[in-house]
Amino acid sequence: MSGVSTAAYFARRAAQKERVRILYRRALKDTLNWAVHRHIFYRDASDLREKFNANQDVEDVDRIDKLIGHGEAEYNKWRHPDPYIVPWAPGGSKFCRNPTPPAGIEIVYNYGQEDNP
Amino acid sequence: MALRNAVLRHLRVPVQNLAVRGSNQSQIGFLGSIRAFSSHDDHLSKQDVVDRVLDVVKSFPKVDPAKVTPDVHFQKDLGLDSLDTVEIVMAIEEEFKLEIPDKEADKIDSCSLAIEYVFNHPMSS
Repeated sequence: MSGVSTAAYFARRAAQKERVRILYRRALKDTLNWAVHRHIFYRDASDLREKFNANQDVEDVDRIDKLIGHGEAEYNKWRHPDPYIVPWAPGGSKFCRNPTPPAGIEIVYNYGQEDNP
Repeated sequence: MALRNAVLRHLRVPVQNLAVRGSNQSQIGFLGSIRAFSSHDDHLSKQDVVDRVLDVVKSFPKVDPAKVTPDVHFQKDLGLDSLDTVEIVMAIEEEFKLEIPDKEADKIDSCSLAIEYVFNHPMSS
């Protein structure tokens, strides 16, 4: 409450920093989804970075939580309906397309000779 | 007809051996074990990975290129912010066509971790 530096305080701050980093990462990827052309993307990315930098010196833990909540709500509002995902990653078009067959299954090469084994 | 054949024979290009990409170190043993332009044999060498990661880090505007070595720590040695590390990790993802899950990406804090991750990832290209 009064900003006493206990382990719990630091743990909470660390968790918040991680949330901020993950939120920034997702928001940046989303910006790239919306603004495909790089010159537009760079402009939007710097705007996003300014928004994050404006709040970087806040010390009050509850206010930080509120700001992160607002940020995540904004992110959820702006999520792209068809994001670019690398093809082999979960959600991409190649994911699970050709799974390796289970061990022990093999092909028996006896075409035409099934009747006389 | 004979004139056409003569012209074609004159223009025919001699068959040359296909040049295989230099980074492919395996031998051209049984024909067909290597395919140029295939995405399956795309195993990067460690030096390749190191070079490309360092290039990505050097071209970051807030970084001084002279200080970049294969084991710099982004926040301690290069004086970057945690958001800057996020940006660098995203740039590395784009460079190697990877998709790093959020939890893993959070842990990448230095050049050496990044190089190790990319080199050990099966799908980096």
